[in-house]
Amino acid sequence: MVALAVLAIVVVLGVRYFVWVDVGGRCVIGIRPSLVGYDNSTVKRALETLRHGSPGDYRKVCTHVGSINPNPSCGGFGGGCFWHGQNARGRASIDVSTEHGLIWTVAILVHETCHAIQFHEGRPAGFDHEDECYNEDHRIMRALVQFE
Amino acid sequence: MKRWAVIGVVVLLVAWGWLRAFAWFDPLAFCRIHIDVELLEGDRSGIRHAIDVVRREDPIAYRALCRWVDRIQEERQCDAGDPQADRRVRGGAGIPLGVLDPAIRQAREAPGCYVRGSRIIVLRRAPDGAGGPPLVRERAEALKRLAGYSRAFWVEGVR
Repeated sequence: MVALAVLAIVVVLGVRYFVWVDVGGRCVIGIRPSLVGYDNSTVKRALETLRHGSPGDYRKVCTHVGSINPNPSCGGFGGGCFWHGQNARGRASIDVSTEHGLIWTVAILVHETCHAIQFHEGRPAGFDHEDECYNEDHRIMRALVQFE
Repeated sequence: MKRWAVIGVVVLLVAWGWLRAFAWFDPLAFCRIHIDVELLEGDRSGIRHAIDVVRREDPIAYRALCRWVDRIQEERQCDAGDPQADRRVRGGAGIPLGVLDPAIRQAREAPGCYVRGSRIIVLRRAPDGAGGPPLVRERAEALKRLAGYSRAFWVEGVR
């Protein structure tokens, strides 16, 4: 009985912190444990925002990304990374630092997903990979941030 | 019996403190809005004062705030675009933001912004030297307006 309860708690906490599950949207994305604060919640908030605010971009994330690493990586604090390699052939793993809050987390998510799409489409060597993806994150920020 | 009453009171006090500590909590209005601030530089009480002004002055806006906003985040600024989308910025050229895209500069100067698709309002952290009643007033007005944007997104489908 105790073992069952412990197992239930582990499963609940695992799903709560380390997996994004959207049954209706048929989307499951793993989120690696974070070393910095509550970054997993920021990633989940960013995915939720994208799901409602820009369903097209959300669908692209679900199609091309299998796991998200919220820890600072080669992009440093506030940046992101996409690693080319055999591991990225299926749904890719992307690094998305959450240091600068929700808006930038959404932007980096879209930026790194753009690189995953480029990789999956086999863009040729020498192609300007960054221009297209910076334009993508700029576009999503302009679309979602409302101020006056 | 008396011991259980004491335990009950203690539990209630702890729950009350927990619900209030990181949030605006108004049980009579069924309203709880989480407030996120920087650990060292943040000012949760300033944001509470601004919400209190909205509550006292504008019940309709307060209702919208409670219903359509579940989190207020204090951040350095609102960013409505990525300056690095311009190659010249990535190349290290010091180009004024207003030249690139006026919206980026305007968003950074705005007291706050709403992120479409969320129930989250971002408030700009108080600039150095700013504070007191003018800042509370500015934030209260921003909260009224931004809660309206959230309501419009979720109810009227303004996308």
